[in-house]
Amino acid sequence: MIELRGVRKVYPSHDGHPPVIALGGVDLTIQTQEIVCLLGPSGCGKTTLLKAIMGLVSLDAGEVRIDGQLVSAPGADRAMVFQNFALLPWADVMTNVAFGLDLRGVSRAERELKAREWIRAVGLEGFERHYPRQLSGGMQQRVGLARALAVNPTILLMDEPFGAVDAQTRRLLQEDLLALLEHSRKTVFFVTHSMEEALLLGGRLVLMTQRPSRIRDETVVRLPRPRPPDVEKDPRFIELKEYLWQQLRAMQISTAGHDG
Amino acid sequence: MMDDNANMAPQAEQTQGRSDAEGEGRAKAALGQSGEDGTLSAFPHLRIPASWLSLTAGVIAWELAGWWAGLGFLPPFSRVLWTAAGLIASGQIVTPLLASLLSLLAGYGAAVTLGLALGVLMGRYRTVEFVLTPYLEAFLAAPKIALVPVMYAVFGLSRLIQVAVIFLSGFFVVVLNTMRGIQTVEPACVEMAHAFGATERQLFWKVLLPGALPLTMAGLRLAIGHAVRGMVTAEMLVALFGLGALLRSYGARFDAEKVFAILLVVIGVALVCSFMVQVAERRMTRWADTTLE
Repeated sequence: MIELRGVRKVYPSHDGHPPVIALGGVDLTIQTQEIVCLLGPSGCGKTTLLKAIMGLVSLDAGEVRIDGQLVSAPGADRAMVFQNFALLPWADVMTNVAFGLDLRGVSRAERELKAREWIRAVGLEGFERHYPRQLSGGMQQRVGLARALAVNPTILLMDEPFGAVDAQTRRLLQEDLLALLEHSRKTVFFVTHSMEEALLLGGRLVLMTQRPSRIRDETVVRLPRPRPPDVEKDPRFIELKEYLWQQLRAMQISTAGHDG
Repeated sequence: MMDDNANMAPQAEQTQGRSDAEGEGRAKAALGQSGEDGTLSAFPHLRIPASWLSLTAGVIAWELAGWWAGLGFLPPFSRVLWTAAGLIASGQIVTPLLASLLSLLAGYGAAVTLGLALGVLMGRYRTVEFVLTPYLEAFLAAPKIALVPVMYAVFGLSRLIQVAVIFLSGFFVVVLNTMRGIQTVEPACVEMAHAFGATERQLFWKVLLPGALPLTMAGLRLAIGHAVRGMVTAEMLVALFGLGALLRSYGARFDAEKVFAILLVVIGVALVCSFMVQVAERRMTRWADTTLE
């Protein structure tokens, strides 16, 4: 279980810019093996929230606990998939996927065996010796996903992982991710700005407000699992999407009014 | 499980194809009028590199000028080559050449070792960078040879002067390039390594150093050229050992043939050294190449 209590993060002022309140006291609980999608306008501190759970930023107030343990640094129980893939350009697919295992001191033979398994699982068999720039964006993110899963984390944090790929590839990646997560029993926290993506993947949706960011609304998605490919035609899906849109629109309008 | 594998494979090939084309375009642009892979378009079926044609033309021009002009300071190329061969065959050049290479090895080795260490520190720690950069920029621009009198006072009349000049000639280029190399490693890669729990040590060996390699190796390649030049100048100024000393003694006797012959040998040394560094560079930074197989 991931618990966030009053999590606050302020980036100090620099170069004459005023300080930025990235997180203004966020409370959120994610149950073990739950898939939670976080939706919110861009620049509302979603990435900072992920980094807080990851243990990559120091908090100004509040705390993050995982199974009761206070989080202060990255740990073996968590792995992250990055928006910009963050692959090592000088390393081939095999080395990239095995990177986390390498850091943990796993022997070469063992980590290549594991990496090969995950490369196959994400559908990149035969590309082991390719370099990132020889791959399309979608394939690069498959590498990023395999790298995260290879360390066998209990918690998977995903930061708009499919934001940088085209719509068709995105759809394929979503379907494959659903299939991979179906039997994985992992806790997943998925940040996105796409309502469809959130509804397709999430068991629960969390909306975040514009800065200073707070959790504004939580919605449980009562759609069947495994989600069928045509889940978008489900009346409940359409209804939820409409509801989300109203919520997000209200948030955008209120901030727009606030700015003007 | 993946059906889109088949769709994605051609995409990958496409990306490759594009980067190949880019590489070609760049090579073409660099050579101006010439055709593919640096061959002159006037002789497309011969496929002779333009650089070879240009060199041959230069040598012929030199040869003809040497014979016809009859200038004392410009002996024909064939005579210079003959003299160089003679110097090598008689063993006359062997001792000075070995002396030069020994200084080069010591000076360049020290420049690379210390340069890498300082460059890494400067790239990783902003404070170190801000404190040292003005000095480095100043030294990079300064003619190292001007320091020879100071070195003379410090080291006395010894080979250390040559070694020190070679060191200074290469050191600053290595430092600045290594620093830039470390700094230009993608912040996203550094953050990713942190997220996967990398220690500072692991970050250095597995992310910063490999990421910095293309610029670092370029620095080493530039430094070897500077070092060879520094070697000859220092040897000429403090005429104790080496090719430079030989160059100076023949120069004093206006023996143009031998001067040019030794210059050929020096250029040969520079080219061989630079070629060796380039081979190492290509092997280590294949990933950054535009034309990956």
